[in-house]
Amino acid sequence: MTLLFNMIGIVSDNWLLLLVGQFPNGPLGGIAATLILSILGIALAFPLSVAMALARLSPWPVLRWPATALVYVVRGVPLLLIILWVYFLLPLLIGESVPGFVTMLATLVIYEGAFLSEIVRAGITALPRGQMDAARALGHSHLGAMRYVILPQALFNMIPSIISQFVSTIKETTLGYIINVPELTFAAGQINNRLLTKPFEVYFILAIIYFVVCWTLTKLASTLERRIAVRRARSMDGAAAPALAAASRT
Amino acid sequence: MSNQASNSTATPMIEFIGINKFYGSLPALVDINAEVKKGEVVVVCGPSGSGKSTLIRTVNRLEEIQSGVLRFDGQNVHAKISSLAMNHLRSRIGFVFQSFNLFPHLSVLDNVMLSPVKVNGIKRSKAREIALQLLDRVGLSSKAQNYPAQLSGGQQQRVAIARALAMEPPAMLFDEPTSALDPEMVGEVLAVMRGLARDGMTMMCVTHEMNFARDVADRVWFMDAGRLLESASPSAFFGSPQHPRAQRFLSDLRAR
Ligand SMILES: Nc1ncnc2c1ncn2[C@@H]1O[C@H](COP(=O)(O)OP(=O)(O)OP(=O)(O)O)[C@@H](O)[C@H]1O
Ligand SMILES: [Mg+2]
Repeated sequence: MTLLFNMIGIVSDNWLLLLVGQFPNGPLGGIAATLILSILGIALAFPLSVAMALARLSPWPVLRWPATALVYVVRGVPLLLIILWVYFLLPLLIGESVPGFVTMLATLVIYEGAFLSEIVRAGITALPRGQMDAARALGHSHLGAMRYVILPQALFNMIPSIISQFVSTIKETTLGYIINVPELTFAAGQINNRLLTKPFEVYFILAIIYFVVCWTLTKLASTLERRIAVRRARSMDGAAAPALAAASRT
Repeated sequence: MSNQASNSTATPMIEFIGINKFYGSLPALVDINAEVKKGEVVVVCGPSGSGKSTLIRTVNRLEEIQSGVLRFDGQNVHAKISSLAMNHLRSRIGFVFQSFNLFPHLSVLDNVMLSPVKVNGIKRSKAREIALQLLDRVGLSSKAQNYPAQLSGGQQQRVAIARALAMEPPAMLFDEPTSALDPEMVGEVLAVMRGLARDGMTMMCVTHEMNFARDVADRVWFMDAGRLLESASPSAFFGSPQHPRAQRFLSDLRAR
């Protein structure tokens, strides 16, 4: 019971720090920074991932090769290492110091880009082969078929997986802590350093916040997944279509 | 209902010259020599796995071949040609699949309009006009705004035919267009195909609808184990099939 009181006390004393960090007196932090970092990360990683998936599925080895290599490297290396690489390499490459937020964002774009590209690729290959055949038979180029026929369906079917990946991204932003990115975990760290005696309460609050955000999104993803599965079953090609279409009319 | 064009002076639309195709070590097509003349309707039949789909899919190069020459309207389909030329060639060969393969994310109208607009660069308003005419021709103008999933199988296949016709192909290929349909829907699709034949369309149809073959086809091809064993007029093929495999195939079909 005292635990609960302590926690409520900590939250009511520090809610602004948890929400936006030291903003407006310092950089934006807290949940706001975590969410912005995740949203920007996914949003920028998304076009990259589509390009990479198309490259991996393209008939041209020149494109297939580098995209495949990047995916394998990123999947085989811990995220923490990629953060450190970007942290030390990016300033060297562009010749000036880079804020932690930008370092973390760049890392997330590379990392999520590689993982999302695998999701996009799976979404494309999950479509019936007849879709590509039909598009090619009508005279569409490979890319035209992708653009007008394959990707609109694949991306729609992938919405739940993309949300799941977004949830992972939110959790991954916590690693920005090691390069002092002012996000939610960093804010909690500051509170803990100030209070000194209540680490259990502070990190319990932190866990609850992450849990609520991620759980809500996961729930949303599974709801969407069910809806999409229903739609996909109804629009399925082939022999099952007449029966299913008949069933859906009644 | 035989076509004028089946006389021997007519020029060929599709020529198979010494076609061989393997899947790994499995010979899927063995030395195929045959032709479909302009305006002709050819029905291809044969037991499951005999290579009918493979044969018809080599015509628009959805399948590659290992040797031989295949000409469509005089053009060598399996030559080393640019992908642009290949796309153009494909756009001139109508193809109807057993599983319809309509694009489920597009309305019926957009299914028919997509390729004229994106491949041929026709204006949307013009493409729409053509699409509505074609949907009317297959009896589905009232479904233009529906999505494929809201249509019966027979209706979907008729849309697929309209979609292929929208590219104004000089020939149409059908790979078992009625095999995925409930029996009561077969007739509506065959009726559309009969209409096409009547209008003089060159057609190559893989089908086991023997009444259709008898009424509409100029020639029937019988395939078995990757070989084209018999090519005959429908009356000759159904009256007195020459090859023992064809005789067995027909008696099996009648027994069903
Ligand atoms: N992609 C493929 N890879 C390997 N073998 C294949 C492939 N497609 C077809 N085959 C084989 O090639 C042979 C011919 O197949 P095809 O689909 O052309 O037969 P079909 O006459 O159309 O049969 P059905 O009446 O069942 O449609 C079969 O033995 C089949 O198993
Ligand atoms: Mg077949």
